[in-house]
Amino acid sequence: MTAIVSIKNLHKHFGSFEALAGIDLNIKKGEVVCIVGPSGSGKSTLIRCINQLEAFDDSSKVKISGVDVRQDETARAEVGMVFQSFNLFPHITIRQNIVLAPMRVQQLSEQKANAIADELMRRVGIESQADKFPRQLSGGQQQRVAIARALAMGPQVMLFDEPTSALDPEMVGEVLDVMRDLAVSGVTMMVVTHEMGFARQVADRVIFMDAGKIVEAGAPDKIFDNPEHQRTRDFVNAVLQY
Amino acid sequence: MYSSALKLRDTAAYILALLLLSGFASAAEINVGANVGNVPWEFQDAEGDYVGFEIDLVKEVAAKLDASVEIVNIPFSGLFSAVQSGRIDIAISSITVTDRRLESVAFVQPYYDSAQSLTVDSQSDIASLDGMRDKVVAVDTGSTGDIWTTANTSRYDFAEIRRFEGIVPAMLDVQSGRVDGYISDIPGLEYFIRDKPYFTVVQRIETGERYSMILARGNPLADQVNDVISELKRSGFVAQLHRKWFGSEPLPDSSTVSVIDRPLSTSVGGTDAGFVQTFLNWEVLLNSYPLLLSGLSVTLMLGAISIAFGLILGLFVALVRMYGMRSASIAAKVYIDIFRSIPILVLLIVVYYAPPFAGIELSAFTAAAVALSLVSGAYTAEIFRAGIEAVPSGQFEACRALGLSYRHTMTDVILPQGIRVVIPPLTNNCINVIKDTALASVVAMPDLLKQANQAQALEANPTPLIVAAVMYIALLWPLVIMVSRLEKRFRQEFSQ
Repeated sequence: MTAIVSIKNLHKHFGSFEALAGIDLNIKKGEVVCIVGPSGSGKSTLIRCINQLEAFDDSSKVKISGVDVRQDETARAEVGMVFQSFNLFPHITIRQNIVLAPMRVQQLSEQKANAIADELMRRVGIESQADKFPRQLSGGQQQRVAIARALAMGPQVMLFDEPTSALDPEMVGEVLDVMRDLAVSGVTMMVVTHEMGFARQVADRVIFMDAGKIVEAGAPDKIFDNPEHQRTRDFVNAVLQY
Repeated sequence: MYSSALKLRDTAAYILALLLLSGFASAAEINVGANVGNVPWEFQDAEGDYVGFEIDLVKEVAAKLDASVEIVNIPFSGLFSAVQSGRIDIAISSITVTDRRLESVAFVQPYYDSAQSLTVDSQSDIASLDGMRDKVVAVDTGSTGDIWTTANTSRYDFAEIRRFEGIVPAMLDVQSGRVDGYISDIPGLEYFIRDKPYFTVVQRIETGERYSMILARGNPLADQVNDVISELKRSGFVAQLHRKWFGSEPLPDSSTVSVIDRPLSTSVGGTDAGFVQTFLNWEVLLNSYPLLLSGLSVTLMLGAISIAFGLILGLFVALVRMYGMRSASIAAKVYIDIFRSIPILVLLIVVYYAPPFAGIELSAFTAAAVALSLVSGAYTAEIFRAGIEAVPSGQFEACRALGLSYRHTMTDVILPQGIRVVIPPLTNNCINVIKDTALASVVAMPDLLKQANQAQALEANPTPLIVAAVMYIALLWPLVIMVSRLEKRFRQEFSQ
């Protein structure tokens, strides 16, 4: 099986602070990887490097389906991204949010783009909101729109940057349900999350990061129930206590 | 109490007058309005005291009436409305008696026979009015010089008439060469240039005009003042003033020595001007309407050009400030800060009067447009910067993550949001620019305010100013309403 995402020796500095201190990671097609760890451990920075929202050190390499993201700008369009704060375009409707990139970047006809949008809106359960503006939707609905918008480009991998952290508790479930459905249907996913229950249920692999490094990676059962490293144990104990 | 305003039957004017009079310290005080700087009639000496022929005269008149004098400095074109509204009791400023003025205000008997004059730069080869063909003439707004020049424009083929608020700014423009000659009252000019050999009075223009003081119609003080002036002529006091200020004897049969009747209005109707008659005079409105419309078009043109250049300049400066090299960015910030702190009136005067000394000729319109654009550009730059910065960085990131090009990111996502944020403050800025065009009247620009001033001086009635105010409001009110609506709408749209 070839790697969809291939990361080699990834270093990232913010000034003198080393946010990522040498990450090596391969994600296979259809794999669901959850990245957990304390705040400031570099989780978000890692996935932001994958689609070039952050620049990284020259010695590092990030490839999508074998294409270096720094050499080919189009590689970025193969990566879908869902943000913590949704980042929907507030001045256009839900449908326009979803069809904008397919029409502008992939040059799809309006008809084709609309067909894709209809299918995706059904899939995430917001088909009745098509002609509303983002501000008229709840947070959970907005995040589902954001997922549909990213999926509309037909990406090879979907990145989620703490997708439920900005939501009211009662809306977390509806977003996680959509993500679980995506995982089941074979979408390749990297999810930075604090939802340990979701990670245990859905992830093929859980990665624990601390201080810019991958401390430990493995099946959810291993990480949560039988971690090797003391730091992983401390983190798991702390988050599972309540 | 000497104010005629008390006699006005109209309630509104009565209340207005009460409010104004409530501040007066003593009943035996006469408020005298004067266009200070009008040599040798009323001006300030080295100690800053008000002196001059008419100051001496009005003080002597007041003394005979056991009253004190309070001098208020008011531009010539504002003197008529000031007496009509009761702000002042008497106006002096070498005011010529004319039939039209007699319809609006009361005169006492004249005390000086005058004429107009043409003054030019001594270096110029203009020797008489005939030399002014296709030349630019300066006059004082609404003065008898203005009236005479306007009436004789086709006879002498003047190229243009520029209107100033007094002798000093007009003579500055004669000196800088922006205007070729200045037509104004001869006594003032001869006094003004007596120590300035670089100006020459080349022609006396006989108009048969006579100077006197004005009061509101129906003010009983007018008859008292008139009687005192008769007495002062008989006693030789007025003739003595002539010797003091002009260094010569008055002509034997002149109004300076002969007691004559008070000039009275030839038109029928009461002697007492009502509120509506004074402030909303239909006839005056019809007479001044063409002048006001031409002023409105200049105001609109100046406003539109300044707004357009301000927008372009502002966008450029904002981009340099945000994305330019460090030194360019600092320069942009310095520009923004300086032009936001300088009063527009000061900038206008600097831009108008300074370049001629460096050999650069700017027309009044260009100078005003440059000053207004510079200031508008500084404000606009800050508005654009705020607009672009108001779009959250998450919007840029979402565009990048979707693979949108820079062009599509700007046109489809950032600018539509940024423009909503900047439209209300930009519209506000447009309102300010249009209002600020009124300041351009100080550099002899025939804008709406200037034309209204001229019209009110010509008609000796403040109605044109009221009409101008209504025009400004009609022009700007819709914009003000639009700003509130847009602000409300965009606020709703962005509350997610």
